[in-house]
Amino acid sequence: MIHMKNVSKAYPNKVIALERVNVDINKGEFVFIVGSSGAGKSTFIKLLLREELPTFGEIEVNGKDVVHMSQSEVPYLRRGLGVIFQDYRLLPDKTVFENVAFAMQVIEAPRKIMQKSVNSVLDIVGLSDRYKDFPDNLSGGEQQRVAIARAIVNDPAIVIADEPTGNLDPDTSWGIMQIFQRINDAGTTIVMATHDKAIVDGMKKRVIEIESGHVIRDQARGYY
Amino acid sequence: MKLRTTEYFLRESLVSIGRNSWMASASVGTVAVSLFVLGVFLLLVLNMNRAASIVESQVQIAVYLRDDMDIGAIRWVGSEIQKIDGINSIEFVSKDVAIERLRSRLGDQSYLLDALEENPLPNGFNVTMREARLVPATAEKISKIDGVTEAKYGQDVVENLFDITQMIRVFGLCLMLTLAGATIFIISNTIRLTIFARRKEIAIMKYVGATDEFIRLPFVIQGVILGFIGGMISAIALSYFYSVVSEKIFDSLKFFPLLPQDPYMKFIGILIIVFGMIIGAAGSTISLKKFLEV
Ligand SMILES: Nc1ncnc2c1ncn2[C@@H]1O[C@H](COP(=O)(O)OP(=O)(O)OP(=O)(O)O)[C@@H](O)[C@H]1O
Ligand SMILES: [Mg+2]
Repeated sequence: MIHMKNVSKAYPNKVIALERVNVDINKGEFVFIVGSSGAGKSTFIKLLLREELPTFGEIEVNGKDVVHMSQSEVPYLRRGLGVIFQDYRLLPDKTVFENVAFAMQVIEAPRKIMQKSVNSVLDIVGLSDRYKDFPDNLSGGEQQRVAIARAIVNDPAIVIADEPTGNLDPDTSWGIMQIFQRINDAGTTIVMATHDKAIVDGMKKRVIEIESGHVIRDQARGYY
Repeated sequence: MKLRTTEYFLRESLVSIGRNSWMASASVGTVAVSLFVLGVFLLLVLNMNRAASIVESQVQIAVYLRDDMDIGAIRWVGSEIQKIDGINSIEFVSKDVAIERLRSRLGDQSYLLDALEENPLPNGFNVTMREARLVPATAEKISKIDGVTEAKYGQDVVENLFDITQMIRVFGLCLMLTLAGATIFIISNTIRLTIFARRKEIAIMKYVGATDEFIRLPFVIQGVILGFIGGMISAIALSYFYSVVSEKIFDSLKFFPLLPQDPYMKFIGILIIVFGMIIGAAGSTISLKKFLEV
């Protein structure tokens, strides 16, 4: 699913965010990327999305060569990935339903299946009855659940989340993790960068720890 | 492009214009004002160009003939002149006509001519050319025809006129190019503000895998719509402006060869509207560039 070979990333300001990273993630895995602030977690995620290009190394995501693909292929790489951020990134002037449907509209998905797909993912995140509400009328946890629904509505092979529980209290975070678990149970690969010790320890999944740009630990069923 | 998607684009563009109605009015206003100024200059250049070429074509070569020629010889000279390329008109001026013209030009002082025993003026032709730059060479050729004593023209006038028309053309072209560039710049900045207001939406579209063309199109359509409206307003204002100004000019300078409003204002109007649409499209494409880099 994801192969990183000898990947290094230096930003134009000469900060080396990742150095000689080798990571392989298989289909159906649930992986936490942990590390202190500034360790390089977000950079790792951005490389998978091709928001940034590596300075050295090879990256393959979903069978696609991320490093050598042309700019016009990037949208098709991203259609196979569902992305979730710490700050939800919902559109405030669209309803819950419209926010989720938006992800289908802009990739020109057939309208016939739109209604059904949106309802089904809102059901998965437990927000079927809030479809008419606007994001501002939802709690942080509910907004993040809308963002998850939007990330999975196009049925991606991999869900990539950068600190999705960063703004949420522990109980709400657990609710979010339950949803991720359900998505993972359905066969979707999950890669999640996080600071949250309690969640990592509680989930008992594979843990990859990054420190100053180096992978210093890669452990199945690990702890923070 | 699927029909359903086209509908999406149109709706998105109109919603965006409605939502940013203040920005939209500013863009329309900018296009209208710039195109109006552009149009005024276009009219100015076209009119000066036309006036110059009319004056050019009226530059005369005065051809004087030997006194001892009969009608047949004079006719022959006339037909020789006619054979030269670029001749606009040729008029025979007999010595009697010439002295009459001189008499009327002298007005009060025409009594001076009464002292003359016989008419000292020669027979001749007045020749006009289609283009001023042909005058010197043509005068040279005419002077070599048998029976012609002299072929004269206002040498300085012709050369200056040629320089001036050329200058107007070059200057007008430069001015219009500069103005067009400035208009695109202003429009792209105005549209940038509407795009800036929607940058979150654009970023999300990029993350879920929308193509650049898909993201760009509603904004380009929006630019084209705004450019079209701006162009319309400016075309209407311009045609009103031209009708008022040409009436004023006609009142005070009857002889001035203004471009007629009828076909020309239609052409210029269409030109300005199309130009507005192109500017709108170019403006949004330019200003989107930065926001598509995610
Ligand atoms: N666009 C950028 N330009 C320059 N330097 C950057 C850029 N993005 C990140 N960095 C630097 O790269 C290093 C790694 O940053 P990164 O965002 O990957 O860390 P992180 O592990 O996600 O941190 P956090 O937990 O605070 O989100 C940091 O030193 C950061 O300052
Ligand atoms: Mg980060």
